[in-house]
Amino acid sequence: MDTILSTLLIFWALIIISYILIQRGLGVLGEVVRGLTMFMLEKALGPGSDLVEGRKGSGSKIWIIQGTIWLFVSATLTFIGLWLGHDPIALHSLEAWGYNALSSELFYAGKFAALFGAVGMFIIGSGLHILPSLLEVDLASEKNAVLTSFLWTISVIILIIGSQSSEILGLDIILIGTAVNLLVATAITANQLLTKANSDVSLATPGWLIIFGLIGSPIAIISILVSGAYDEGIGQWLAYHLFGATFWFSSIAGIALYSASYGSGNALWSRTVAGVVIFGTLFTINPLGDVHPIMAVDMLGLSTAELVITNQDNVIGSFLMALAIIPIIALSSNILITLRGTDTFVENPDSAGIPEINFGAWMLLPLGIGSLFIQTDYLSGVNELTGISNIIQLMTIWTVFIPLTLGAALQVLPAASGRYPLSQNRARMAFWMLSGGAILGLVLTLISDITDLALAEALVEDPSTLSQTMRKSGSVIFYGTVLGAIFHATNIVSGLYRGDKVNSQVSISETTFAPTSYPLTSSTSIRKILASGAVLDTEVVPTFESNESGKPTPLHTEEE
Amino acid sequence: MSNDGSGKIGQFLQGEKEPSSSWVILVIGFVAALIFLVIYNILYPGQDLPVLSSLLPMFEGVFDSGIWFFILGAMIGAFAILGTILTEATIE
Repeated sequence: MDTILSTLLIFWALIIISYILIQRGLGVLGEVVRGLTMFMLEKALGPGSDLVEGRKGSGSKIWIIQGTIWLFVSATLTFIGLWLGHDPIALHSLEAWGYNALSSELFYAGKFAALFGAVGMFIIGSGLHILPSLLEVDLASEKNAVLTSFLWTISVIILIIGSQSSEILGLDIILIGTAVNLLVATAITANQLLTKANSDVSLATPGWLIIFGLIGSPIAIISILVSGAYDEGIGQWLAYHLFGATFWFSSIAGIALYSASYGSGNALWSRTVAGVVIFGTLFTINPLGDVHPIMAVDMLGLSTAELVITNQDNVIGSFLMALAIIPIIALSSNILITLRGTDTFVENPDSAGIPEINFGAWMLLPLGIGSLFIQTDYLSGVNELTGISNIIQLMTIWTVFIPLTLGAALQVLPAASGRYPLSQNRARMAFWMLSGGAILGLVLTLISDITDLALAEALVEDPSTLSQTMRKSGSVIFYGTVLGAIFHATNIVSGLYRGDKVNSQVSISETTFAPTSYPLTSSTSIRKILASGAVLDTEVVPTFESNESGKPTPLHTEEE
Repeated sequence: MSNDGSGKIGQFLQGEKEPSSSWVILVIGFVAALIFLVIYNILYPGQDLPVLSSLLPMFEGVFDSGIWFFILGAMIGAFAILGTILTEATIE
């Protein structure tokens, strides 16, 4: 049997077993395990647990705040990486301090900061609020959630140091960072599973996506180790994509679907389509990400193996990646239609976070298809497109992962902290800078990369001045993401202290059209009516449709 | 405000409570930046834009790339975030 299928069979079996155990519990051992886990989460920390108060929502809040700061760090590192792409000696003066800045290393550090710092912390922070909300219980341990956030930040710092110098005093720095990271991930998973165990409520689909995101990565590691594929090139490639499908894609899908519904006030468009996202995410190979699994290899402390791929592996890998477009389309469409409700436009675009979710959902499909082409090109050994793999991965991070997770975090934060961001205006400006800087800056760099690839294939020796100009412009425009991250960070932090308090009454913005009457054509919720822009003085008018065939349906306000 | 398609797109682009004239200032800023670049190219044809070390010779050999303008901006941003965290937490 080939490597991909044998590893995936183990992965799928473990996922199904985990699902059954989560649903049915551990029987007589359940109470013991629950008590022991709770002890490990709080009492075992000793005096450490007394450092924090453990107020409701504090765990979610602290993760999101730290994620915002990592967003700024990752934007800065990526910007410097882009700049050094066209001006490699720009930071030569730092060599006096013994630091030789390289574009590739800055990109690597920027990816760690973006994926584990910003995106990872937004995912976990949002999940810490969303899962208890869906289950209608409190988080099992707020104290543990707060304390582990700082340990996670330390792990990201270690990973970034490791990306610049992988070995210090004979120690594998990235492996140490991974160990700390896994420790925190285990605590967060235990916390969330314990929260699930404390509830009798049936969990909605976004909640399951978050849970599979948490348990998926360790299961992927176990699958790779059990199948023995960890020392093969194809096994390492698969490990990288299983991590991408579980912790990143599944978790992002969960928090984005919840936030799209929560933020717009609309019900989730389709539970069936959300179910397709779960099934498709776990039973296909997600193509998003780089072709070289260097990040997974370094984090697992493995040595890079050459990719030797059999024909069967190639067919199965390409087929399962092509199938992964189904959950990508399902997620994108479900978010976009949920945001719009019954309208053709986003219901409440003024709300901070909604534009980010809308933007990320739009970018998901083109980048999913682009990544599919690059990965199949790599698996088949053609390698014509591997030169643009790095920039496509950066585009995925900055125009899909970060907008979707930042948008979800901005939606969740007011509910967790009790206050809105200080200024909706500044949030709007930050959105345009961050999204505009990312899309324009990276598209220009992509054009430059493609030009260089075409010239290299044509054996042209002289570098293109147009390509160089594009690369310069791309790096300068990408600086917008740094500014956007600064605006978001100051806005969110100030909002925690001086932002408007969250109250049950929906405040209608001045730029939103407030209708004087609302036609009630079928049963609906008050939340939905308010989300449509209605105010307390809006008259709700029962109307009845005329079913006369061949004519537009007139609405009339008098009861028959 | 109108509720047609263009009106709603305007709402989406325009921040809440933002004076509509703010877009005029943004456009003026954009045009002014373009004019500056064009005039600079006319006055100093073929020359790169000045960097920190050409403005302040004491930094020659250190800040001799345009990236330092941006890094200084990012450092100001980092201190703005740090300042916001500290002052918001301690403000009366």
